[in-house]
Amino acid sequence: MTGRVIVITSGKGGVGKTTTSANIGTALAKSGYKVVLIDTDLGLRNLDLLLGLENRIVYTIVDVIEERCKLKQALVKDKKNPNLSLLAAAQTRDKTAVNAEQLKEICETLKEENDFVLVDCPAGIEQGFQNAVAGASEAIVVTTPEMSAIRDADRIIGLLATKEEITSTKLLLNRVRPSLIKSNEMMSVDDVVGILEIPLVGIIPEDTGIITSTNKGEPIVNDENALAGKAYRNVAQRILGEEVPFLDLDEPKGFMAKIKNAIAKLKVKV
Amino acid sequence: MLMEKNQVENGFIINLSNVKNTTQLVFELSSIMEHPDVKGKNVCLKLGSLDLKQSQLLSIKALIESMSATLAFIDTISEQTEASASSLGIMISKVDENAITEGITPEAHEEIKDEMVEVKTETGEINNKQAVEIMADIKLPDFSPIETTEGIEDIYDETSTQELSEIIPSDNFESADFTSLAEHEGLIPKEDSSKYILLDTGNVLPEGIEENSEDTSSMPTLYLSQTLRSGQTVSYEGNILIIGDAHPGSEIVAGGDITVWGILGGIAHAGCNGNITSKVRALKLNAIQLRIAGLYARRNDTLNVPYVQKSNEFSPEEAQIEDGKIVIYKKLRRD
Repeated sequence: MTGRVIVITSGKGGVGKTTTSANIGTALAKSGYKVVLIDTDLGLRNLDLLLGLENRIVYTIVDVIEERCKLKQALVKDKKNPNLSLLAAAQTRDKTAVNAEQLKEICETLKEENDFVLVDCPAGIEQGFQNAVAGASEAIVVTTPEMSAIRDADRIIGLLATKEEITSTKLLLNRVRPSLIKSNEMMSVDDVVGILEIPLVGIIPEDTGIITSTNKGEPIVNDENALAGKAYRNVAQRILGEEVPFLDLDEPKGFMAKIKNAIAKLKVKV
Repeated sequence: MLMEKNQVENGFIINLSNVKNTTQLVFELSSIMEHPDVKGKNVCLKLGSLDLKQSQLLSIKALIESMSATLAFIDTISEQTEASASSLGIMISKVDENAITEGITPEAHEEIKDEMVEVKTETGEINNKQAVEIMADIKLPDFSPIETTEGIEDIYDETSTQELSEIIPSDNFESADFTSLAEHEGLIPKEDSSKYILLDTGNVLPEGIEENSEDTSSMPTLYLSQTLRSGQTVSYEGNILIIGDAHPGSEIVAGGDITVWGILGGIAHAGCNGNITSKVRALKLNAIQLRIAGLYARRNDTLNVPYVQKSNEFSPEEAQIEDGKIVIYKKLRRD
């Protein structure tokens, strides 16, 4: 088996790389695929927190590289889904503890026994980024509809284009707020895609549920009712090659809102 | 080296002549030093017959200085302590053993406030006679313990002090059955035994290192007064004492015991060289992982609250290996 190695990157910090990694990884594992998540944010690791696995980490990626343990020993199995495992970053070290060659080797080994290897990239374009990208053949660029995030995403897309190994770069637009787009206060999805000019793999609505899910260490894809969870499940399906329509984020959620919406439509007709 | 000047105005004598080992000494001393009245004062330590190495004495000096106090002089009958003190330039007052016994010990046994006596002397050289005079001139402290020493009062009320003095001098203290001792001391196993779950890690001890049960009280102690933040690691071959919190993401690795005078939220590895008698203690034991010798345990997922609200209601907890498991004991408050 040769799995796919996908790096999740953004340039700017705080746009949702780690949340995206945790959710796509969980969603793919739920669909029955074997998934390994690699946290390459050495010294500022978070992926373990989002998955609620911090208390299970004994060995980290640095222990693997410095040969204090075998790669298999360092893989932390998810609490719920045995298909999903995590290779944690070392918290007490920094980015220089790993180099691109070593990370590439780890990815090569992992993809032999897994369907997907998702690499959570640190913010920035320095060594951490270079390491994370080294073993990957596909990239997902996460951005939010803000000028600063888009500018950084543009820079990252440019850097990824120079990497021969990366054959596909897709865009994931995070924290979209339809109400703000409507009132022209936020860039629309079309605007962002127009600027960055790469294919879209997902649109994730802003969801306050993300905050509670992060604090609980439970990815939001496990919540059947959350809109962001549904959007991430759709992303996973698109990664698997299925054609899934993008969510209609304009659709009002509540019952009363639906009635109001219906009345509004009637009025327009009258 | 005798004291040349004996101006001990604005100071305290702390009588620790009954303590048996360094860990106990640091424990007693740090609880006394927490008293706000100690700030800016000169402290004189009575160390009795305890043998202290240079490094240990230096740690104690650092502890006192970290509380904004000064170590003015020590009183000891141990030759080793005396040698350590002279090499560190700490002044020693030689006081006749009988004089101490007559002068201070009986009162000091009774209550902690008697151990913190204000010393007011005029001028002159300290000699045996003078020492007796100082002891005789003990004034009961002016401060009221109730206002400021709530924590100290809880632990050192009259009954507990009596119990302490009953247990500590006994020769078999070190080897006493912990369970019965624990019950006697108000230490009981925590009801929630599922707080930590052992991880199946296989053999994690480095090659060539075997399980042992060396006495941790004979190991040197590293003393730190700081908050340990995420990503910071402290490792030491002996015991580690931290006055402050150890935040989640931090790591403490000790050859002996780990004591955190605060909230322990990171990883704590006691007895990292295979010492299975090592213990981990904290005012609030919330470590993400507890490791003792080759046993690793993770915090139960149901307790996944990485940051604990600060509180004055913490009851110290202690983790140790028992029957191949990590067991947590909780010190009950006596109120």
